Amino acid sequence: MRTQEKKKISSRQKSEFIWGWLFILPTMLGLIVLNIYPMIDTIRQSFYKTGDFGKGNVFVGLDNYKKVLGDAEVWQALWNTIKYAIVEVPLSLVIALLLAVMLNKKIKGRDVFRTIFFLPMVVAPAAIAMVWKWLYNSNFGLINNTFHIKVNWISDPKIAIYSIAVIGIWSVIGYNMVLFLAGLQEVPRDYYEAAALDGANEWHQLINITVPLISPTIFFVLVTRIIAAMQVFDLIYMLIDLNNPAWKKTESLVFLFYKYSFEQSKKGYGATVVVVLLMVILLLTVVQLIGQKKWVHYD
Amino acid sequence: MKKKVIAILLSAVTVLSMIGCGSQAAPTQDSAAPAAEEAPAAEAAAPQSIGNSVEGELSVTIWDEGQRAGLQQIVDEWSAQSGVKATIQVVDWNNYWTLLEAGATGGELPDVFWMHSNVAQKYMENDLLLDLTDKIAASDKIDMKNYYEGIVNLYQSNGKQYAVPKDIDTIALWYNKTIFDEMGVAYPDDTWTWDDFAAAAKKLTNDDHWGYAIAPGNNQEGYYNTIYSMGGYVISDDKKTSGMDDPNSIKAVKLFTDMIADGSCPDLATVSETAPNELLCTGKTAMCISGSWMLAGYRDNEYAAANCDVAVLPFTKSADDRVSIYNGLGWAAAANGKNIDAAWSLIEYLGSKEAQIKQAELGVTMSAYIGTSDSWVNSVKAFDLNGHMKMLDAKLVFRPYSRDTTVWEDMMIEKLQDAWTGEKPVEDVCKDIAAQMNADLAEE
Amino acid sequence: MKKKISTIVMYVVLAVVSFTMLVPFVWMFLTAFKTTAETMQLDPFVIVPSVWQTQNFGNVIKAMDFVRLYANTLGMMALRILFAVLTATLSGYAFARLEFKGKNIMFALVLLQMMIPVQIFIIPQYVMVSKLHLTNTIFGLVFPGIVSAFGTFLLRQAYMQLPKDLEEAARLDGCNIPKTFFYIMAPLTKSAMVALGIFTAVFAYKDLMWSMIVCPDNRATTLASALAKMNGQYSQKYPELMMAALISCVPMIVIYIIFQKQFIEGIATSGGKL
Repeated sequence: MRTQEKKKISSRQKSEFIWGWLFILPTMLGLIVLNIYPMIDTIRQSFYKTGDFGKGNVFVGLDNYKKVLGDAEVWQALWNTIKYAIVEVPLSLVIALLLAVMLNKKIKGRDVFRTIFFLPMVVAPAAIAMVWKWLYNSNFGLINNTFHIKVNWISDPKIAIYSIAVIGIWSVIGYNMVLFLAGLQEVPRDYYEAAALDGANEWHQLINITVPLISPTIFFVLVTRIIAAMQVFDLIYMLIDLNNPAWKKTESLVFLFYKYSFEQSKKGYGATVVVVLLMVILLLTVVQLIGQKKWVHYD
Repeated sequence: MKKKVIAILLSAVTVLSMIGCGSQAAPTQDSAAPAAEEAPAAEAAAPQSIGNSVEGELSVTIWDEGQRAGLQQIVDEWSAQSGVKATIQVVDWNNYWTLLEAGATGGELPDVFWMHSNVAQKYMENDLLLDLTDKIAASDKIDMKNYYEGIVNLYQSNGKQYAVPKDIDTIALWYNKTIFDEMGVAYPDDTWTWDDFAAAAKKLTNDDHWGYAIAPGNNQEGYYNTIYSMGGYVISDDKKTSGMDDPNSIKAVKLFTDMIADGSCPDLATVSETAPNELLCTGKTAMCISGSWMLAGYRDNEYAAANCDVAVLPFTKSADDRVSIYNGLGWAAAANGKNIDAAWSLIEYLGSKEAQIKQAELGVTMSAYIGTSDSWVNSVKAFDLNGHMKMLDAKLVFRPYSRDTTVWEDMMIEKLQDAWTGEKPVEDVCKDIAAQMNADLAEE
Repeated sequence: MKKKISTIVMYVVLAVVSFTMLVPFVWMFLTAFKTTAETMQLDPFVIVPSVWQTQNFGNVIKAMDFVRLYANTLGMMALRILFAVLTATLSGYAFARLEFKGKNIMFALVLLQMMIPVQIFIIPQYVMVSKLHLTNTIFGLVFPGIVSAFGTFLLRQAYMQLPKDLEEAARLDGCNIPKTFFYIMAPLTKSAMVALGIFTAVFAYKDLMWSMIVCPDNRATTLASALAKMNGQYSQKYPELMMAALISCVPMIVIYIIFQKQFIEGIATSGGKL
């Protein structure tokens, strides 16, 4: 009897092994060809002073990394990126969660609100940048002319990065909201009924029932949004140009990578910058993966 | 319901994938190529002979949408003679270079494409461009003596010629006639000095508009011209040292920063959000210094067409120091291209006197072939293009460049911001730029 | 009474957020019908165009082949959704529910991919497509989206949330792994698949740099890249830019509104089964 069970388990293990690999094979093949190989190539490049067009590379060991550590522009870009993420991620998360909770109720006009909040998701990035650039314009923009103020939203070095973060929030709320809505479907309604009988108000219900129950979704959104925010590029690229006094205070790490790799053909140094970014993101993600045990509840 | 949706999607996909593939040029059969190579003399004389060596289309890539229609017309004429189809693709400036770089790093470059002073040296040194020296020597249509010297030299490396000059640009003073009339200031003419220009800008400023507008990025369309006009320089002839700390260069930049300080130019925030040429097109500035490549933009803007015109740039002491910083693109081909003979035939045609005249006539640009641009003056009725044409007779200074121009040029633009805002004295900023630029040049 | 107040507060919040979300769209719409001069007029500041410049529409339509751009964009989106959902469902299930050697390392690679800025991949990917002579084709557009690390992660999260006993029961009934997956587990993650479909579509639609580089030809490229190109070329004709932006997003909005019931219901029904 015992040996039979053992055999059964091992045959089960074998079948899990085979099917497991078969199931992940297409994805892994794709990832390796499309992503892992290019990434390894980039990491390799970060140890070289690259010649033109990938020819005549000179191995320089850790020189690029030493240079990065002492490069004020890189540190400034890291700080800009963090400032962006600190504003964009928490605000977009909280607003989206509140909206999702409201829209999860059977209220009038639910479809309309849902549609409106998701609208920015169907607009091309160039269109978003164009229209916001004009809303923000200090002379001819709608915002300054409506409130009769004179704020240089995207050319004042002190506030430009936050103005860009506002666009980020605006664009991403709908995305987060849909994910939260999907998560909320998994929460059984009777939990709330029981809580309501106990006299818990809506705020308490949110904190004590909703948040813990959809914590896996929140965790997922948090991890992916932080990663995405740390890679902010498109918006800055389209809104800020060299003439802009806020240039230095809005340049993100990916922007810097783009500048070195594509505009100045310093591929090796650009690769180093992006490896640094990778390390930062890796660190943030590992911290979250460890931290999740404290607050994320699976099943 | 869901099944239906999926079925519709799938059939749509099938149809689409067929549409999407239509424009792809089929790979050339290698077997046809050697035959053509064996007879270079015959092919130069009669482009018809290459018709068989190319299957599909020749790919031509440029970055300016405004020139596409006109150039395609010229290319079509070549196609009629040669029997080879060629289609022009436009990729915007930034992605153009990413694309070329990717093509150069391991993919494939377009058959024929534009080269620019910023990067030409690098592409030539790495043998990415087809060496045209022998082909030019054998050609009866192309002679490098016929083109503006600076552009010819630009596309030379180690005594070889890698591109045939395409066009030449000049810088001129665009102005808003309506604002000049309103403020009672005489239109700019060829007697203006840079001081007259600054004085006029002051008079033309009121609550509704500024006299002139310039951003730190307006180098070829701005301070480069005054630097050379006032006797300064940006980069030494051997491309080893910066001239930005030359007292005359500093004076030339100061001309503009003083105008910003006294309010006749908008502040940095304004020009960084709305470019000077956009301000001109909306009546927010009376004057703007622009390159001739901007013509299509002004022509197609109804306000500019109705209110603006163009004059020559001012000079410093006498008409002899009226400077136009010029640049010119070159037609180049990929060294490892599959349709080298067809590519050369097309470049030869594009550089020929006939095509260069046509390019000017169609109002695409002024042409690099000396003396073929006269008809360009009449290509746009709304403006008196003599403002740009006459700058060809001014002192032509080639746009400052080195092997890695963008590195120090971007740095310069960034640092000049402090001069624009008045945060630092112009002298300090320029000296700072010179020091950094010298370091960058040493790294090349 | 308390409930009533909270309902009112809720509607106020929803209305304020909706207003903020809509302002840029309204502004895009109004600007699309102005003259260039009106966009920069201050005294008085122009909100509604004095004369609706309907010819802006014609000008933009003439300059850009929107039908073609839409066909390319939708084709790319459909194919990417198909591939991403297919591969991610399989791998998501394996990562969440199967135990096999090498799993953790492979999953680490998936996570790693999500953390890398996409710009890194562009040149190597372009070189591959270029060597296959597939630039300016729909294959080129779809290529980087054939698999989805994000989708794998999303689906894994979804499978993790399903109760374990379902699978146990199936196994005791003699279901083998592929059967359990196809008939029991996969149908339960429909909401996640729908969500992945939506996000794949959105990301594909918004993807800019790749489509610009791999399909420089205006006949083969996507809306996003054609629009970005226009941004560089028409900077002095702001209303026409806005018109192009408007034309590019209105059909997307219509498609979204038509399908949104399906999307959300897909999410709701599969959720209800639990």
